[in-house]
Amino acid sequence: MFEIIFVLSAPLLGGMLQGIERQLRARMQNRMGPPLLQPFYDMFKLIEKRPMIVDEAHTVFAIMHFLTLWAVVAMLVLGDNLLYVIFLHLLATIFLVIAGYSVKSVYSHLGANRELWVLAVYEPVLILFAVAFYLLEGSFSLQSIYSGQAHLFALLPLFAAMVLVALIKLGKSPFDAAHAHQEIIGGVEIEYGGVFYEFLYMAKWVEYIFIYTLFWLFAGSNLLLGIVLLAGVFVLLNLIDNATARIKISDLLKVGLIWGVGLAFINIVGLLYV
Amino acid sequence: MFKLKNFRKRSLWILHYNAGSCNGCDIEILACLGPTYDLERFGVLNRGNPKQSDMLLITGPVTYRSRERVVELFTQMPEPKVVVAVGSCTCTGGVFSGMYNVEDGVDKYIPVDVYIPGCAATPEYIIDGVLKGLELLEHKSKEIVKPKKLFKKLSFHKDHIDRRGIAGKVGENDGKD
Repeated sequence: MFEIIFVLSAPLLGGMLQGIERQLRARMQNRMGPPLLQPFYDMFKLIEKRPMIVDEAHTVFAIMHFLTLWAVVAMLVLGDNLLYVIFLHLLATIFLVIAGYSVKSVYSHLGANRELWVLAVYEPVLILFAVAFYLLEGSFSLQSIYSGQAHLFALLPLFAAMVLVALIKLGKSPFDAAHAHQEIIGGVEIEYGGVFYEFLYMAKWVEYIFIYTLFWLFAGSNLLLGIVLLAGVFVLLNLIDNATARIKISDLLKVGLIWGVGLAFINIVGLLYV
Repeated sequence: MFKLKNFRKRSLWILHYNAGSCNGCDIEILACLGPTYDLERFGVLNRGNPKQSDMLLITGPVTYRSRERVVELFTQMPEPKVVVAVGSCTCTGGVFSGMYNVEDGVDKYIPVDVYIPGCAATPEYIIDGVLKGLELLEHKSKEIVKPKKLFKKLSFHKDHIDRRGIAGKVGENDGKD
């Protein structure tokens, strides 16, 4: 019952999380920051604005992206197979890339290109993440991971790689080249306006829930460790975001492939042979 | 009572455009958005994207080359929207007034809601002006607002307004120039 409520309210929870995050980042910079419900105020304002469609297919793909991501969270919480979840998440990202290519806008194409580049960095890590749990649990079953013991200490290098993936996926400095606002004006999201941008905005909230639920898997059935882990990761991500500047997309690929995939691979080799 | 209109003043996304400014006012705007003056506490963000913005912050005296860009950016913004002219140059031309390459203020081209004086406008003035614009935003309708010059009739595609068609025609001689 609790799981179903969690899945249904995933966008709301993600919005709350973003509100807390904006407040936390403001406090880290020694300023007041927006109110906690600011993401929802933005949402109501966007709904109220005059709607603007650049291209029908472009708009539909944004809605598909949002709905698929929501389905990903539902499968991650209620479903049974970790590998399916990760491939369905890949599909959600592909919808976003197609949306980026479906309008005649240079920045949108550039954003879609970069989305594909970063996909090449984090997707191997996510698959190795599933493989690592397979090696420890003997199956991809999510329910056995949730009810099993905590694997954090067997998977420390993978955990570090997942922090890197979370930085890329949530668009945090230094790895936010795919959504760079000052550089390519948001990339894929540039041509959306009004209520249709709202779907991409909410998709970002669902993405938060997805990434933090993946971190929850490290703790298994250990509730206390899970809460400490999520709070720690939340503060760590925002600290890194505030303390660093953006790196170029080519450097992102180098760092991501060497450290992200490298650490995950070392972890897998360690699980197999040590 | 819950009304969507009430949330216009809670969240404001800014498009900042430099129409030939000396960068004095731009630096002050960035200072407003930074930690010292913290405009984000009112829900203000600098988006840099006309399609998602509610407020156009213009600096500079509008040079001859940038006037078409100003009008085009203005037409791309969805209603309701407000325009804030930051600095003496943008209000009247300032020290550049009467020069051959300068258009003496932005209000010849687009309707301006708030004028912020100063050379350069101080962050306190800018915050006051932005909040004044926020109040005005509540009383704005969702009707299409037309620029004053460099703009022909609204063009339609099927049933809805074709903004790309409008933007493509910006800069053609409209007889009023």
